[in-house]
Amino acid sequence: MPTLLATNALGTRVELVLDAPSSPGLVSIGEEAIDEILYWHDRLSLFQPHSLLSFINREAASRAVAVDDDVFGLLSLCERVHALSGGAFDPTVRSGGHDDRERGDDASPGWSSLVELDRERRTVRLTRHGVRLDLGGIAKGFALDMAADLLRSHLDCAALLHAGTSGVVVIGRKPRKIGVRSAGGVSFVTVEDAALCVSSHRGGRRGDDAAASDPNDGTDIDAGLADRARARFSHIVAPDGLREPIGETDFGAGGETSLVIGRSCAEADAWATALVVLGRRPGAMPTALRSSVYADDRWSSDGGVEFFQICGSEAD
Amino acid sequence: MGSNRREFLTQSAGALAAFAIVPNFSAIGAAKSAMLGAAANQPLNVGLVGAGRQGRAILGELAKIDGVRVVAVCDDIDSRLRAGARRVQGAEAFGDYREMLEKQRDMHAVIVATPTHLHRRIVEDALAAGRHVYCEAPLAHTVDDARAIARAARNAGGGLVFAAGLEARSNPIYQLARTFYRTDAVRDPVAIEAQHFRKTSWRFPSPNPADERAINWRLDPEVTLGLPGEMGVHQFDVAMWYTDRMPTAVSGGGAVMFHDDGRTVADTTHNTIRFDRGLAMQYQASLANSFQGRHEILRGSNATIKLAWTFAWMFKEADAPTQGWEVYANRQQFHNEEGITLIADATQLASQGRLQDGVGLPNPPLYYALSDFVSSVRENKPAVCNELDAMRATIVAIHAAKAAETGSEQVIDAALYNL
Repeated sequence: MPTLLATNALGTRVELVLDAPSSPGLVSIGEEAIDEILYWHDRLSLFQPHSLLSFINREAASRAVAVDDDVFGLLSLCERVHALSGGAFDPTVRSGGHDDRERGDDASPGWSSLVELDRERRTVRLTRHGVRLDLGGIAKGFALDMAADLLRSHLDCAALLHAGTSGVVVIGRKPRKIGVRSAGGVSFVTVEDAALCVSSHRGGRRGDDAAASDPNDGTDIDAGLADRARARFSHIVAPDGLREPIGETDFGAGGETSLVIGRSCAEADAWATALVVLGRRPGAMPTALRSSVYADDRWSSDGGVEFFQICGSEAD
Repeated sequence: MGSNRREFLTQSAGALAAFAIVPNFSAIGAAKSAMLGAAANQPLNVGLVGAGRQGRAILGELAKIDGVRVVAVCDDIDSRLRAGARRVQGAEAFGDYREMLEKQRDMHAVIVATPTHLHRRIVEDALAAGRHVYCEAPLAHTVDDARAIARAARNAGGGLVFAAGLEARSNPIYQLARTFYRTDAVRDPVAIEAQHFRKTSWRFPSPNPADERAINWRLDPEVTLGLPGEMGVHQFDVAMWYTDRMPTAVSGGGAVMFHDDGRTVADTTHNTIRFDRGLAMQYQASLANSFQGRHEILRGSNATIKLAWTFAWMFKEADAPTQGWEVYANRQQFHNEEGITLIADATQLASQGRLQDGVGLPNPPLYYALSDFVSSVRENKPAVCNELDAMRATIVAIHAAKAAETGSEQVIDAALYNL
């Protein structure tokens, strides 16, 4: 019987499944990981005025703000994915809440000209007033990474940590079949000791006629999942060991959905965002990351992700 | 509860490990004048003792304060020391605070965030070594230790600052709400309620079994003050600060309601803290439920104030007089009640049409407490929360812990409140 811990953070329900019976020591390890998630929620939230991110957004246009190695590493990753994705991943937002790319203003500057990182002094500076950072495309993945690092240093059992609607970290050498919902239905991909993140252009509630197939595919997922999945949809619907669909946000009504698998959940999270913007895998994307994009009624994989189709033509 | 519990009111800590090298801190203290503080244009060098979760939060907030440089991090548990040192660039790591005091000659201030029962020796040695001290609350787990810390702080002299981490006193929203509480806006104090509810085991993983007891000191009946002491101290202090009254007696009880893992320290407690003239504070705390988290409610004959760490509201009685500023006020609905959101600098923000910007604190309360400490050191001014305030709140917390443990009323000797 696995041990389940949960919290509400990062705009979703975060769950941790530990593959061992509950014990005081195991629960304390799980709670430490959950506390780490809450710690990063408090630091990286755009919506809490007392978060570190809000502090950076208030101060960094006036002066360089010193940050610790972890936060500097996160910002450096933002910079790297921004550059490699040709600007498709861009956590900078202008006043008014619309980022330039969404406005279709191609001439507007992005991260590369709005954010300065000083590696020597570990500082971040915003080059213009009215610019702020929104780490929504990477913060969940980063928080999961930090919690997963902590779990890896303490646990002697496998575990699964997920932020319901967008990211999963599989800890330990136990393959997991993760359900991923797109407009085409639920597909399953096997993940082992790695992170999986998904992103979608837009959310929305699936119609009643949408396929929510019985996952009768030989995996150990509860057959009752399909009924529950009809009522509540998420990007990521069912890692094994859980008896409920993950998350409470409705996604996958249509359009493009991207999926990235890698060692770092933050990196996978950022790239999933970039891929859904680009609609394809760019040549500069690190080869260690496996990815796929759902568009035009099919998953176009880079060869690194193999889906076990449980709906559509195979299920029929 | 265990029958071999410590004598709450008489024992001193004495729990520090012995060290082979014991520097003469009084001799070091002779050079105090060099340690008093950085010049206004130089960084204030700070050392942290205790790199657990609170210590790491302190490091995060210190990084936001201009002119502060963390030069040393100390913890005798290696995993915590590494976790703390990783968060500060250029800080030297120490496993022994005495070595830190001796080697870090340019360190002006020490922040003590160790387990409560270890505070006394560290604070006394740091003050003796001529360092300003910020000590987390409660000050100590015994009355003797709390009073000893307060005496050491008072006698330190030489312009040394001692501040305690009762953060509410530095919290701008709590400061604002207190101005209302102490005027006709709230009027006569009627009742006080407070709670600290958080669903967690209070148990931390220990990579090294030898560190298990040290890491899980909150569950060690020999040294912990339990929920009323460790969490309640901050909330008892709010009541004492707001009312300017000292409790006369505390009753209470507690039990292990949920975390049935062999612990004897209660995971759910309740206390009644009695003040003079019939005023009482009802306090509940639990590790088995998280509904509505932490807050304090202070009822008056004209209004009720609810304080929730980074937010505060005032709920007016229907017959209370209307005040001019209310026309600008931001309001929030709570079931059948309408709360006026208390916002620091509300008048100025309202004049700028930015009232909504002020809802919620722009920094965690810890940031303001540390900022006040730094200001006190730099500007040679009294601490916002001094040794006397902290000692008094600690004494109430110790009595509340005893009441919750034994179920019997604890009368507080008024003489204990004086140094």
